[in-house]
Amino acid sequence: MAPFYIALWGLAAVLGATAVGGLVWSIRRGEFDNLREGAASIFDDEEPIGTVTDRFPGV
Amino acid sequence: MQPAEERERLTRIQIDRSCRQTVVWYYASAVFWLLVGSALALIASIKLHTPEFLADWQWLTFGRVRPAHLAAMIYGWGSMAGVGTLLWLEARLTRNRLPFPVLLPATAVIWNLTVAFGVVAILAGYSTSIEWIEIPPATAVLFGFCIAVVIAASVRMFRTRESRHTYVSQWYLFGAIFWFPLLYVSAQIFLHTPAAKGAVKAAANWWFAHNVLGLWFTPIGLATVYYLIPKVIGRPVHSYHLSLLGFWTLAIFYNWAGTHHLIGGPLPAWLITVGIVGSVMMFVPVVTVAVNHHMTMVGNFHHLKYSPTLRFVVYGAMCYTAVSFQGSLQSLRTVNEISHFTHYTIAHAHLGVYAFFTMVMFGAMYYVTPRLLNTEWHSAGWIRLHFWTTAVGMAIYWLGLTWAGWEQGRMMNDPRVPFLDIVRYTVPWLWSRSAAGILMTAGHLSFAWLFWNMLRQRGAYLPGPTLLVREPGRAGAAAGGEG
Repeated sequence: MAPFYIALWGLAAVLGATAVGGLVWSIRRGEFDNLREGAASIFDDEEPIGTVTDRFPGV
Repeated sequence: MQPAEERERLTRIQIDRSCRQTVVWYYASAVFWLLVGSALALIASIKLHTPEFLADWQWLTFGRVRPAHLAAMIYGWGSMAGVGTLLWLEARLTRNRLPFPVLLPATAVIWNLTVAFGVVAILAGYSTSIEWIEIPPATAVLFGFCIAVVIAASVRMFRTRESRHTYVSQWYLFGAIFWFPLLYVSAQIFLHTPAAKGAVKAAANWWFAHNVLGLWFTPIGLATVYYLIPKVIGRPVHSYHLSLLGFWTLAIFYNWAGTHHLIGGPLPAWLITVGIVGSVMMFVPVVTVAVNHHMTMVGNFHHLKYSPTLRFVVYGAMCYTAVSFQGSLQSLRTVNEISHFTHYTIAHAHLGVYAFFTMVMFGAMYYVTPRLLNTEWHSAGWIRLHFWTTAVGMAIYWLGLTWAGWEQGRMMNDPRVPFLDIVRYTVPWLWSRSAAGILMTAGHLSFAWLFWNMLRQRGAYLPGPTLLVREPGRAGAAAGGEG
């Protein structure tokens, strides 16, 4: 019983730690600094903000 | 691998073109498994209200057909549509070509063979009888290899990404691709070795099963919604701050929820309570996601009339909110006392894997496939048929089984009601589920027909960057480039 709990909680802790680690990494890299730029990062000159990019065929 | 600042800026067409082999293989395979899974689903559903149906065939007995359906849908349809979408999204987000042009399509072939092996093994009687992971444990090696290649491709594209910013979808996708192999391999170890003994194997089972939903399918689904809704309507996500909050709270809370499947079971009460707490805390990421998606769509709902992708994706996103709310409530002991071991749970499960994840994947495939093959879908009519049969079919499915399950649960808690009376009560509702299943399968057949014609490039040719190009004299093409 005990080794299983150690393994399970250990795994959960590792997963949690990777999440925390990722959060710290992203804060350090400035991912949270400019949120407007972040939201707009999927748009560009070819498909700018305001362009609809999907339609039924033939419409 | 050139540093991001120095390399040429790829056009969207170049990026999409690089994804063609791999993603089309994964998508075509996914459609195949969708049809196989639907056939198995119908057989299983009919057997529940008409047990004599195909009763002479031992390899189609309910105890085998049902897990075969699960395997075909989870590891076949869901995971392959998910991996295809994940790879395309990552190529788009990092503005990179998809690497490994031989090895990645090869993983699709290996994955197919592995799923086929698993489904046949189950039908032949070699199911492990462990829910969500009935396929033989040897498959862990094969799936692990394929995922390792996908991880390598993801990391490579990420390290040479153009943008300094990491969009929220990229976070979800990295979460999915790292969490899933960890889950799958450790679950196989817990379940098939003495690493876990006796009743705690059940804890491992449901830790795994719930995390396939929460850390594999959900992140891929949400990554897709966060990319496609803004892309289709041409408007950035309403609150980027909320989207990041949603991801991080999902990463922290979702992993704990698994033992809510074992409420009342032979495990320590604190272990189960942890699962319930994690499940209820999920309100935080779910509400942030719901608010975010809704506020992004506000003022843009009219686009639902014109965009197939948006219809499927928004339906899916709304059902994500619904199924998550339902799930958080279902994990409370007082509610679970009634709903557990009934059809209510099945309705809930399909609200998640079908109404949310599958519908979002349909939306993604409608968006991505034309861009890979430079061809428009050949018929708006078949797309509409696909949408309405699946949307209405799913609604009937959920309503019928939710009602049946709740009544079933109340009656089971009443010792005066004979068990067979309860069984008889559910039968008409099981018929309604078969009817819903027929509708949904009709939708899948429409989608397969559309996909088949797409592979044969029967629709209008689309060379433009946004793929909305009118070619004079060519039927079925749409106007070019405008907003």
